[in-house]
Amino acid sequence: MEQKENSIGPGDEIPILNKTAYMPIDPQGRNAIHTDDYAKDFGMRGALIGGSTLLSYVLEMLYRYFGQDWFGHGKIKVSFIGGGAINGDKLTAHGLITAVEPGGEETRMTLDVWLEKQDQAKILVGQASCVC
Amino acid sequence: MPEKSGFEAIPIGFEVGPLELTLDEETVRERAELIQWEEEKLISEFGLVPPGATVVHHAHMKFDALPDLKASIWAKSEHEFIKPMKVGSTITIRGRVVDKYTRRGRNYVVTEYETVDESGEVLLRSVETGLYVE
Repeated sequence: MEQKENSIGPGDEIPILNKTAYMPIDPQGRNAIHTDDYAKDFGMRGALIGGSTLLSYVLEMLYRYFGQDWFGHGKIKVSFIGGGAINGDKLTAHGLITAVEPGGEETRMTLDVWLEKQDQAKILVGQASCVC
Repeated sequence: MPEKSGFEAIPIGFEVGPLELTLDEETVRERAELIQWEEEKLISEFGLVPPGATVVHHAHMKFDALPDLKASIWAKSEHEFIKPMKVGSTITIRGRVVDKYTRRGRNYVVTEYETVDESGEVLLRSVETGLYVE
């Protein structure tokens, strides 16, 4: 697990996380956007990977960096853009530190976070912060 | 739900859930495998649930509560992690529709979720905006 470095600051990127997008396709599933036919009719490339799965990739990157501090002090706000991901997409989670605000014994770090596909197109963008 | 159906009929304040869920090790590992969680020690050594692993249930709760909903795509989501979820614990997730709106001809529903443990302590707060397709 990556650890926080004391010297890291605004403009630095935390370690990235790579995943191959995967979600089982259930033709009987409640959300039709997770089926190929419906998603293609909707203008997508295929059955969309669930937003909670995409979010989990970013959360794992943040957990690896912040450790268990994340559970008590982690906040994240994201938007889903760019047509989402389908099974097999090669995804990379990124976090770029934008602010480090010392406050007594604790420091709040704020980051821009995003998830991009193999063609560098972003499919999730937002901000996260954690007290550490 | 009122007699009228569909997006127009969804009242602000409409309750979604609650859902009670026991986070036994099998359940946690099943979800961890699906999201390809690689930090095994979190579960095996610390007895904690990967962050956000229960968020998938928010969508299930929404589909159960809104029978006319055929498809939904997250537009935005926001989560505040307050306390860790322990493997073996039982959590309760309560949801509520807090807003709905139409933009560029598409309907959106905003739902808040609060996850608490057995003693009622809040573990996770979420606000999710989803495209609503009937």
